[in-house]
Parts: sequence; structure tokens; C-alpha cells
Amino acid sequence: MYEAVHARPDGTSTVSRLALTASELEYDGLVVRCHDDAMAEYDPNEIAAGFGVDLVAGVELRADDRSSMASAITRHRSRQTIVCVHGGQHNRLACEDERVDVLAHPMADGDFNHVLARAAADNGVHIEFNFARVLRADGGERVNALRDLRRLRTLVDKYDVPYVVSGDPHSHLELRAPRELVGVGTVIGFTDDQIRHGLLAWKEIAARNRDRRSESFIEPGVRIGRYEEDD
Amino acid sequence: MRHLPKHLRPRWRYLGVEIEAWPDAQITRGQFQRELYYNAQNLIGDVGSAEVDLSVFGFSFSNGDGAAVVRVRRGEVERGRAVIACIDQIDDQPVRVAVRGVGGTVRACEERYIRRPLETPEERTVAFENADRFAFVRERRIAVRTDNGFAGATDFDIE
Repeated sequence: MYEAVHARPDGTSTVSRLALTASELEYDGLVVRCHDDAMAEYDPNEIAAGFGVDLVAGVELRADDRSSMASAITRHRSRQTIVCVHGGQHNRLACEDERVDVLAHPMADGDFNHVLARAAADNGVHIEFNFARVLRADGGERVNALRDLRRLRTLVDKYDVPYVVSGDPHSHLELRAPRELVGVGTVIGFTDDQIRHGLLAWKEIAARNRDRRSESFIEPGVRIGRYEEDD
Repeated sequence: MRHLPKHLRPRWRYLGVEIEAWPDAQITRGQFQRELYYNAQNLIGDVGSAEVDLSVFGFSFSNGDGAAVVRVRRGEVERGRAVIACIDQIDDQPVRVAVRGVGGTVRACEERYIRRPLETPEERTVAFENADRFAFVRERRIAVRTDNGFAGATDFDIE
């Protein structure tokens, strides 16, 4: 299972420290998705070999207006394995663009409805169930977060939208093990299969995109390869 | 008062819990227990708290590293785990609390899931992000003191 993290300078811990803790919590990999104005510098191969955790290069895009968001998607799509869009203001644009892998925290300060759910399902954009405020807020803020997750879950179930699950850690102290996310998820109304599926989805997106970026890939179903010779 | 007959006594499970925080954190057993009750009440309410019946058995903490044994009612382990996962700070000190394993007795739980404490951190100056910084170094874990709080790092990050 994979978790998606914000590393220093976007968060407070470095990629390697997050990888160390993730390996102790039995994660198979981490998606490093710093915001595009605070990207982390790290050597993925060295850290992956040191801690036995796969590191996936990602980004979470933030922009003030639609056109700069669209150009940011174009710019980062060819460089990063996983492209996320910071949800809220640009939910619609993200759901309608098939180059986007994940729409992060769509309910944080925006809205999500059946029109967006249908568009996301059509374009294969994964919707994130973000547990940040469930794990780290309390009182009214947490109640709002739970209500938003419930609404999002209804839409995702109804329109069969692909989804991911994340605790959205910004430091190694905020990382939670898969079993703990499953525990929290079942308390707030998810099934344990949903949470496991959401954590595995990060891995599937990474594998798919790595395959697409490999040299042998031409388009879905077509690839350069070696074939058996005819007699 | 007489003991209940054995088949009527409540059955328990013991969670082996590890606690990690920044090296300057001060956490006592009382604070941990209070935070546990508080989180249980927030997440699963009074009714759930009574059902899970969390209490702290063993506790040790020093230099940002610790462990505890938390008792829950048998069959409520997953809810206990959820409550523990929601502890993100103790008296405004950020912490990571993780369940390492579940045992049927306190002793089995301590033997299997509570590891001995990490060595005391060494305080020295390290080169981090092109500046000399004061840091606590413990095995591969390094907490670097920066202008706005600690930064988590490892030996990969210091030159």
C-alpha cells in the first residue's frame, strides 16, 4: 500500500525521514506530492534502496486562475509520474482533464456534485478521500470534514468514480499505518475494503503512468516489443 | 467483594503502542491517558468510550521516544486502533502514536511489541540545507532545529 505525502519544504520532514517511518509502518511506497511552488529535492533511487520503499515523483498543483492551472498541468504532466490538483477552486477543470491523475481534497474549500462525479468517472480522474481533518482536527471542523466525506462517498459510490485514500501527512509524525487508516475509516462509515482499495490505487496509478512513460509504450494496447519470428 | 466467576469476567486485549515526538517533548503517563480519553470521546463519543473501555497500563517516554500498553475490551480492537490513530498531539506537542501489535496478556504484549528504548540522542551541529544547524542525532533519525521548529531528517540529508 502507498501513501501520498508532503515533504520539506512543503512539509516539515524530508523525503528520506518520511521513507524511514513509512518502511517501519509497512508501506510499500510513498508518492511525494509537494505543492508546485515548494518542490522537494531528493534522490529517489538512493532513498528507495536505503529504506526499501518505492518513491513516486508527484506534484500537487495550485493556481489562481484556470489558464495558469491548465498550463501547469501541461508543464508537469511530462515530468511527474503522478499529477494531483489542489482541490477547491479548480475542481471542474481537474475532473474534465484526463491528464490529471488525482483531484486532492475536493471538498476542502470547494464543492463537488453529480456533474463533476460523472466527468471524473469519464476521464479516469481519481477523487481523494482526504483524512487530514479527521485525524488532526476536532470539534466543528472535524464534523464538517466528516459530513463532506460522507457526501463525497455517496457520489463516488453512485457514479463509480475511481478514488484514492490518504491521511495527507506533512511530517513523519503525521504518518499513520494502513491498518490505522482502515480502523479510522471503518469508524467513520467506510468499509475496510474501500480504504485498502484507496491506498492501493496510488500504486496502480504509479504503475500505469510509469508504463506509459516507458520507451516501449506507443498508446494503450500498442507497444514496441520483440515478437516471435514467423516460420 | 467477591470476584466474578471466570466466564463472566470481561475479556481484554492489550495494544502495544509506540510513541514518537520531537526530542524536546515532555510527556507523562497522565497526559497520555488524558489525551486518549479525550480523543475517544471526540471520535466515538461517551457510548463508544464505555464500550471500548481504554486504559493505559505500561508507559515510558524519554527524549522523544516511548512506548505504552493500552487495554481495550476484546472485540473492540479496531475502534481502539482508530482512537489511537487520531492522537496527533499531546499538550500541543506533535506526536506519532502507532499500534505495533495486539496481545492477550500484558506480559505477552510487552515482550513481543515493546522494544527497548532507542539510545539517548547525541546533540551536535550538522550541515543541513546549506547551513550549520543544531541537531539531535539518534541512529539514523535526525531532528534538526530550524528557524520554525524541528525538521525531521536522516543521515541522507546531512552533508
